[in-house]
Amino acid sequence: MTLGPTARDGEIEALVVDRYLESLLDRDPLDDAAVPSDLRATADRLARGLPRYHPSFRFEEELAARLAAASGRVGRLIEFPIQEARALVAGDERAAPVGPVRPVVIGGMLTSAALSIAGAAYVAWRRGRPPAHAMTRAVRAVARARTS
Amino acid sequence: MARPALRRATRPAEAGRPRLAHLDRDRSLVDAARADPARFDALYRKYVAQVYNYAVYELGDHHEAEDATERTFLSALAALPRFEERARADDGDGASTFRIWLFKIARNVVAERRRRWRRRPEAPLDLATDAPSPRDVESTVLARESAASALRAIDRLSGDRRRAVVLRLVHEMTTAEIAEILGRSDGAVRVLIHRGLRDVARELRSRSPEGRA
Repeated sequence: MTLGPTARDGEIEALVVDRYLESLLDRDPLDDAAVPSDLRATADRLARGLPRYHPSFRFEEELAARLAAASGRVGRLIEFPIQEARALVAGDERAAPVGPVRPVVIGGMLTSAALSIAGAAYVAWRRGRPPAHAMTRAVRAVARARTS
Repeated sequence: MARPALRRATRPAEAGRPRLAHLDRDRSLVDAARADPARFDALYRKYVAQVYNYAVYELGDHHEAEDATERTFLSALAALPRFEERARADDGDGASTFRIWLFKIARNVVAERRRRWRRRPEAPLDLATDAPSPRDVESTVLARESAASALRAIDRLSGDRRRAVVLRLVHEMTTAEIAEILGRSDGAVRVLIHRGLRDVARELRSRSPEGRA
């Protein structure tokens, strides 16, 4: 089948736009005059503005438990990425994700700066709660003594 | 950093010649989960947010998205022994046929829910604007309005056009990966994205004060 001039032109334009999108997603957008300015502005707005929806912590853990049960193991200990959460809460830029910051929606709640309120609350809860294990209490007591 | 591309074309010189198996990005995790299904948890943790995000964009409802996510991962766990890694030597180091396979399952699950549901909610995009922010400063409001108008424009796109734009710009997939998931050619996906962007640009223009004037 031979493509007519319109279809072929459309495919070429789509290829050029795709190349621009690739550079945009690589955080190094091309200054390509072949891509119409309104398409560039729209792509940029969508790439930055479209939120990423994240499941709630509760749902994620419940489903993990169901999958563990389905796979024949129930009650596996699941590690919480507490260091990452602390770095985000403390605003440690070295640990912060690179690239444009998108809005993040966790289980229906929009956060203002890609920071999980649920995660921050969880970290605060963990730190404020007396540890059940004697060894953990001892480690925290030593840490407090060193910092005070 | 150059991102990997999955290509459909096979070089003539390589046809019929045995090729070394290429390491899929998720091969070690998949192998571990096959050996011990409890270790599927690592794959789940890696992709749960992506699958959930895809489902929210498709279904426009958090509860429906949670159900779809659960069904996707339970199906994937059950079908893992049948999963075939298809990454090729020229796919690049970052290729993951597992992710493509998982998104195909998610797509099927979403399609099935849609068939049962029959009707999408009128304004799924309010998902992003319903909850009051604890820090309602002007910039947050403006960013939220911008996101809401972009979401509304995306939601007006037809099925595969919307899917292609979301997979490209939110999930940052390559056109080849999207082509695999949607069952279309690379060229068709590029055209879908191009037309989708044009439609969104037109929609945003018509809603801007200048566009209405």
